[in-house]
Amino acid sequence: MTVKSVLVIGGGVAGMQAAFDLAEAGITVCLVEKTLSIGGRMAQLDKTFPTNDCAICILAPKMMDCYRHENIEVLTFSEVISVEGEVGSFKVKILRRPRFIDEELCNGCGDCARVCPMGILNRFDMDLRVRSGAYIPFLQAVPLIYALDREKCMRCGLCKVVCGKDAIRYDQKPEIVERTVGAIIIATGFDPLDPAGITEYGYGHYDNVLTALEYERLISAAGPTGGHVVRKDGTEVKRIAWIQCVGARDTRDNRPYCCSVCCMHATKEAILTREHHPEVETFILYTDLRCFGKGFQEYVNRAKDDYGVVYIRGKPGEIREKEDGTLELFYSPYSDKVEILDVDMVVLCTALIPSEGVDVLAKVLGIELDEYNFFKLKDPYNPTETTRAGIFVAGYCQAPRDIPECIAHGSAAASRAMEVVLGGMRNGKSQ
Amino acid sequence: MEKITEAINRTKAYYCVECGKCTSACPLSRFGDYSPDRVVERALIGLPVRPDLSVWSCLTCGRCKEICTYGVDYPEFIRRVRSIARDEREQGICAHGELFSVMRLLARPSAPPQKRLYWISKDLKVRDKGDILYFTGCLPYFDIVFRDLGLHTVEIARSTVKILNKLDVEPVVMNDEVCCGHDLFWNGDIEPFKRLGALNIQHIKSRGARKVIFSCPEGYRTFKLDYPEFFEFDFELLHISEFLAERIEEGTVDFRTIDAPVTYHDPCRLGRHLGIYDPPRRVLSAIAPNFVEMASNRENSLCCGTSGWTNCDSFAEEIRGERLKEGVETGAQIMITTCPKCLIHFTCHMSNRPREYNLKIVPFEVFVARAMGLEETTE
Repeated sequence: MTVKSVLVIGGGVAGMQAAFDLAEAGITVCLVEKTLSIGGRMAQLDKTFPTNDCAICILAPKMMDCYRHENIEVLTFSEVISVEGEVGSFKVKILRRPRFIDEELCNGCGDCARVCPMGILNRFDMDLRVRSGAYIPFLQAVPLIYALDREKCMRCGLCKVVCGKDAIRYDQKPEIVERTVGAIIIATGFDPLDPAGITEYGYGHYDNVLTALEYERLISAAGPTGGHVVRKDGTEVKRIAWIQCVGARDTRDNRPYCCSVCCMHATKEAILTREHHPEVETFILYTDLRCFGKGFQEYVNRAKDDYGVVYIRGKPGEIREKEDGTLELFYSPYSDKVEILDVDMVVLCTALIPSEGVDVLAKVLGIELDEYNFFKLKDPYNPTETTRAGIFVAGYCQAPRDIPECIAHGSAAASRAMEVVLGGMRNGKSQ
Repeated sequence: MEKITEAINRTKAYYCVECGKCTSACPLSRFGDYSPDRVVERALIGLPVRPDLSVWSCLTCGRCKEICTYGVDYPEFIRRVRSIARDEREQGICAHGELFSVMRLLARPSAPPQKRLYWISKDLKVRDKGDILYFTGCLPYFDIVFRDLGLHTVEIARSTVKILNKLDVEPVVMNDEVCCGHDLFWNGDIEPFKRLGALNIQHIKSRGARKVIFSCPEGYRTFKLDYPEFFEFDFELLHISEFLAERIEEGTVDFRTIDAPVTYHDPCRLGRHLGIYDPPRRVLSAIAPNFVEMASNRENSLCCGTSGWTNCDSFAEEIRGERLKEGVETGAQIMITTCPKCLIHFTCHMSNRPREYNLKIVPFEVFVARAMGLEETTE
C-alpha cells in the first residue's frame, strides 16, 4: 500500500519548491530542515543574478507559502536519523532538537532576545554580527519562533522572567518523531568551502580577505553594516578585487569541478558595490569567464560598460598584506610579466561543496555519493533519481547549479515523487 | 614516444589553462621576466622548446607546482626538458667550476678511491655493518670546496652522528658511498645518475641496513622519489628531523633550552617536494621557546635562489636577499635550515654584504647537537 505522503529533506529553495508542488497536488509533505529557519542559502544573499532582484523579497513569500500550506508540515531544527522500509512506504525517524522554547506558545515577540545579556556571533551573518543568546537567525525567519543557545547560555533566567507567554522551557529534551512516507526528496544544498587551507591567499590571517558569502552579508541592506561596505577596522574601502575559483577547479584537494555560479556572483557583487559606492574601484580576476546561462553574457557586458567593473584575466599566486592593512595581489595577465594590483579588500569566490553531514545522511538513506560527495544519480538520463528507488534528489546537493536551475530541479523531483505516491506504473524506477 | 610528448603527458602539462598563477608566484619572475605557463604553452602548441635560459633558469623550487590548481608538475617538466636539451649537447652554467665533473667521475668504473670518511673523529661511534645507516651525502666534499666561506659542513655530519650516538644508535657510514646524483638528475644528465644510484643501492644492501637516515634533503628526495623509478630496494628512509621528532614523542630526548629567538627556513626539497614541514618545527620548538616563523613559511617559503648549482645569477642573489630580509624581520638572529646548499647560498650572499644582515645561518643538526649538550669536535 503506497503512502500518499513525501518527505523532503532540506528547506532551501529547491526543497521548498518540491514541497510546494507536491502540496498543491494534494500530497502531504513533511519538510525537514536542519537549521532554525527554512530559506536556505538564498536567504543569505542580497540580490540574485542576472536580474539583481532582491533575494529575500522573492524568497520570503515562498517560505510563507510553504509554511502555511495545509498539506505541508515544516519541522525545523530537525534531522532525519533513520529510514526503514521500501519505496511506497518508508518509515522515517526524525530527531527534533530542542529550542528550549515552546514552539506552540512562542509568538515571536523577541522580548527574550532583548533582555538576554549574551553576545554570540551569528552564523547566518557569516559571524560578522553579534546576536543575542535567544534568537532567530534572521529577521524574516520562518517559522518566527525563537530559540535559546544553551551551549553559550549563562543561565541568568532573565528570558523566563520577561516571556509573557511563559514559553521558556530550560528542560526541553530532544524528541524523536516518526512519519511514514511513500517517497523521499533530498535537497540539502551546499556549504561554502573554508578557504583557510588555500594558504597563498591568507584567509584567516589577513583582516580584509573575505569570502563571497561574507561579502554578500556586508553588501546586504539587512546585513551587519546595513549594506555599507567597510573594512574590518571600520574604514572606507576604495578598491576591491574578487578572485574566482578559489578551491574550485582545484585538483590539490580533489575538487576539479566548476562551481557554476562564481563568475556570475562576483559580477553581481561588483555591480552592487558600484551601485552602493560609485567611487569604489572593482576588479574581477578570472581564469575564464563562464557566462553560459540566459542573460549571463549581457550581465557581464553591463558590468563592464555601465558599471566600470574591470575584468582581469589572471589568477593571483600570492597576496601580501602591507603594514596599513592594504593588500598586494600578484598576478600575471597572460604575459611573461608579473603585475601587482593594490587593493584594500579581497573577496574570495570559494568553492561550494556538499553540505556537512551528507555522508551520514547517505548512509541513513542507503544511497551513494559520487567522488566529490554530491548525491549520485542512478543514471544521467533520470536527473533526479538516486541509486535507491523512491528516493529523489534536487538542487546543489546533486551537482553545481544556480537558483533557477535548483527550482526547476525541485519541481522535477516533485513530479517524480508524485508519480510514486499516486501509484504510477514505474513505481519510482526509471524506464 | 617523443620525449617532449612524454614530458607533457607525465607532468599533466596538458591541463594548463594559462591562468598565470604559477608565473605570479614564481620567485624568479619577481625579479626578471619568467613565466612557467608560457614555457609549457610553447611546448603544448608544438613549438620547439629551446634550450635557452627559460630551461636553465628555473629553480625547480616547486612553488608553482604547489599552487597550481590543475596539478601540473612544472619542476618535473623542466627536468625532462633539460634531459632533452642535453641530448642536443646543451647544458646550464655551473656556478662552481668542476663540481659536475667530480660527480661524473664518481660514476665511472675507473673512479679513483675516495677518502670519504676523513671526518670521522675519535669521539664518534660508527660501524661498518648494521641496521641503521647514515647517508652522509656531499658534506665531506662541500667542506673543502666551501672552506672559503668559513663553513665546516662536516660539522653537520659529525653532529648527526653525535645525535644518533646519544640516542644509542651507532650508524653505519660508508667510505664507498657516492654522490646521490641529485644535481646530475636535475640537470638532465641521466646516465651517470643511474650509475651512481645503482652503486649506492648496492653498497647499502651489502651493509644489511634496514633504515637509512639523511641529513641532506636533496639526497633524501632522490632516494625517496627518484631512485624507486630505477631501482628496487625496501629499506626505510628517514630524515634526521623525522627520527628526532619520533624520539621526542616517545620522550627519550633531553634538550637544553635555548632562549634566543630562532627562525627556520624550509628547503624546497624537504618542504614542497616531500611535504616535511612539521618534524623540524617540532624539534626546534622543543628546544627554542622563542621560535618565530618568517612571513613566508612552509609551502609558501621563499627559495635560497639556486638548485643543482646551475645559473646562479643576479636574480638568484635578489631572491636570496629577499629571503634573508624576511629572516631579519623576524627579529631572530639565528636562521636554521636543514639543507647544506641553503646554508652555502645564504652564507655566500651575506659574506659579500656583511653589514646588511645581522643573522647567522645555523645547520639544523649542529643546533640540535648543541641543545643536546654535545661538544663540538676540535680539529
